[in-house]
Amino acid sequence: MKPRRFLSVFLWIVILAGCTVKAVGDPNRPITINANIVVDIRGLKKTAVGIEDMVAQGT
Amino acid sequence: MRKWPLLIVWIALLAGASRSLGATASYDLREMTPEVQTALQGRQARYAELQRLKSESILGEDNRGFVKMLRESTEARGVAQTENQDREVIYRAIVDQNQLGPDGMTQVQQVFAEVQRGKAKSGDLIQLRSGEWVQK
Repeated sequence: MKPRRFLSVFLWIVILAGCTVKAVGDPNRPITINANIVVDIRGLKKTAVGIEDMVAQGT
Repeated sequence: MRKWPLLIVWIALLAGASRSLGATASYDLREMTPEVQTALQGRQARYAELQRLKSESILGEDNRGFVKMLRESTEARGVAQTENQDREVIYRAIVDQNQLGPDGMTQVQQVFAEVQRGKAKSGDLIQLRSGEWVQK
């Protein structure tokens, strides 16, 4: 495979598999990122069921 | 032979998609603090009494994951108060230990309320999401 083609494929893989974004700037003025936390209800329900089962079985 | 780079791209795509679609996040009591342990033991100890009070329609499960007194009873008042304190400790621990953010407590309460509705026995009083109280 030609080096340019290989580079192209490699870049596509990096883009599709995920990437890291680095920010540079003044350390005295940190960038604030407001992130939305998405709670997986299915996962939470599994935890709740586990705890309630434990409470019920502990008697 | 020339198609293999395309295959790599497809594999990468599928790997990324499965990561975002298929995975279920797990939330746990990651650290069993003395407060959480006491709360769980307290709940286990009063479980039978709580079930009895629920079967007598003195207590019901509200839509925020807590028990509510629906008929006046001194005994039930004490049970409900300590039960709710213990539940609050457990809910708070899940929110804090899993960093669920400012809305986390509401979500945890709603999910626990749903689980309590599901586990309620026939005849128990439960509060639906809408706020309406019904007999299961």
